[in-house]
Amino acid sequence: MPVEIPKDKWPGSVRTVTIGALPKDGGTRKCTVTVGGETTMPFLHYEGEIPNRPVVAIEIMDRQPDDWSPLLAEAWKDVMDDPAKWAVAAEQAGADLLVLELSLNNRNGEPTTPDEAVSAVKSVLAASGLPLIVFGPGQAEADNALLVPISEATKGERIVLGICEDKNYRTIVATAMANDHLVSARTAMDVNLAKQLNILISDMGLPLDRILMDPTTGALGYGIEYGFSVMERLRLAALQGDKMTQLPMIVTPGYEAWKIKESKVGEGVPETWGDWLNRAINWETLTAITLLESGADVLVLRHPESVKRVKRAIDELMSAKELV
Amino acid sequence: MYIIGENIHIISEKVKEALKNRDAKFFQELAVRQVEAGAQALDLNLGPRKADGEEVFPWIAQTVEKVVDVPLSFDSTNIVGIEAGLKKVTKAQPIINSTSAEQERLEKVPLVAKKYNTKLIALTLGKSGIPVAADDRVNIALEYLIPRALEVGLPISDLIIDPLVLTVSGCQEYCPHLIEAIRTLQFAWDPPPNISVGLSNVSNSVPRENRSLINRVYCAMLMGVGLKMMIADPLDEKLKETIRIIEERDESTPLGRLYLKIADRINAMEEPTIDDIDQTDPEQVAIWKTVQILLNKVIYAEGYLEQ
Repeated sequence: MPVEIPKDKWPGSVRTVTIGALPKDGGTRKCTVTVGGETTMPFLHYEGEIPNRPVVAIEIMDRQPDDWSPLLAEAWKDVMDDPAKWAVAAEQAGADLLVLELSLNNRNGEPTTPDEAVSAVKSVLAASGLPLIVFGPGQAEADNALLVPISEATKGERIVLGICEDKNYRTIVATAMANDHLVSARTAMDVNLAKQLNILISDMGLPLDRILMDPTTGALGYGIEYGFSVMERLRLAALQGDKMTQLPMIVTPGYEAWKIKESKVGEGVPETWGDWLNRAINWETLTAITLLESGADVLVLRHPESVKRVKRAIDELMSAKELV
Repeated sequence: MYIIGENIHIISEKVKEALKNRDAKFFQELAVRQVEAGAQALDLNLGPRKADGEEVFPWIAQTVEKVVDVPLSFDSTNIVGIEAGLKKVTKAQPIINSTSAEQERLEKVPLVAKKYNTKLIALTLGKSGIPVAADDRVNIALEYLIPRALEVGLPISDLIIDPLVLTVSGCQEYCPHLIEAIRTLQFAWDPPPNISVGLSNVSNSVPRENRSLINRVYCAMLMGVGLKMMIADPLDEKLKETIRIIEERDESTPLGRLYLKIADRINAMEEPTIDDIDQTDPEQVAIWKTVQILLNKVIYAEGYLEQ
């Protein structure tokens, strides 16, 4: 018996956002990344368009991180203390773009200086031609102190600067506007706050096609269903035509999955949990794929093996288009 | 519209301070102002008062009854304190606000209502929290609240079902369901129970400048499905004007016609459409945007009017 699959016709669509600028457009990137543009819920190719595939960013830091799992240290080996080398390794591992996260303190335990931060960013830009996202240490004062000089020193590169939060977005948005960059807007798993922050940022005059939104998600087993619902609601609103929710979504499953016990702890856990490395990679991969299914456009990952698996999943989900 | 005045509420810093000082004059003035503004009963929400309820509730009842004659609504979870207050009431039939369908409260509170011949507000709230769906709220009324009232011999005319208003800021999906809960409750029992809601809850944690607009648009929508009683701010002139327009079907102004249209659409189970408004009038556009968030069509954000 033939079954008719119901199809929705949505009045709205997700905005298209391009990260990175080629030399002809005032940057130095060898390629750009374009995300967004969906006119349907995730991967419903029979219903609407998904013109741009979701992309995978690899998260690197400006120096050897203090609190990352030894499993990640094992995977990246000796590149972790040199952001330029790490960037090259990440590119080789299949990253579509890079996330460089700045440390609050430098190797000597002193606050990271603007000069150190700028030189880390420049070394990454010189070593890899991939588009770049730069996250500050996550404290308002330090973020502003470091991101403004970075923004000025890289004018025209269309870097994504983060993190804009409701308590601290003005300085970052202003410098992004002045220097042709983009911003990432983060809120804590709440549709109302996510939309409000987008309104505030766009009120400052930054065009909406220069904003990514990070709804935050939790890891698999740690509240991801709330994250899923928030993303689903934001995406439904976008497709229904709500302009202030029509931004591509960036999520950080690498950060989320590597901070929980199942990935972090290798000893003193039940034997039935199985191999530690395998478990940790599964956790990151499954967290990422769940978010992919809830509408993520940019997935920020940490382990090279997870990157491989998630990219394979994206290939398969996008190739379903041919079956339509 | 029967308005139970909401302004004696412990969430207000002034009320908190006045209560600490047992400032009788403050409460008497606030009571008189509300009644003069049209409140037909007064809600007294002084919190649980676990430590001193048996002293505070009698005090507030006596204080307020010296200056007004309307029913007092004791709004607390402290049933022992409420009972102490009820003993001091000498004027109109008071109200207990509230019981819920949680077993312990449903066991005790209706008995007190019966004993003191009060009206009783009963929330459609079970042990598993507030249900989102309209039907689930109606079912709580039909399966627990009404049967219990009948069981203790409380006349249905003294039972007031409160199907619970939740804030559009964070519980947006509840807002349209409440409309349907009110619609259904009126046909769910014969004779139908009274229905009341706490209107201002819809704009909890909304910036102050937008609260009144959200309250009165929601009020128009709820009046569309027949709401006749609510706990609300009788000092909100624009809210009362909206109520007046709908009750008198005053079509003499564009705004009046819009509020009536909204109420009529909701009554007919239709959604207001963009063609119902004059898009050149900023006030009508603001009302339209408010309808959209209250029907959960557009995600609420603090800046929703500027969008």
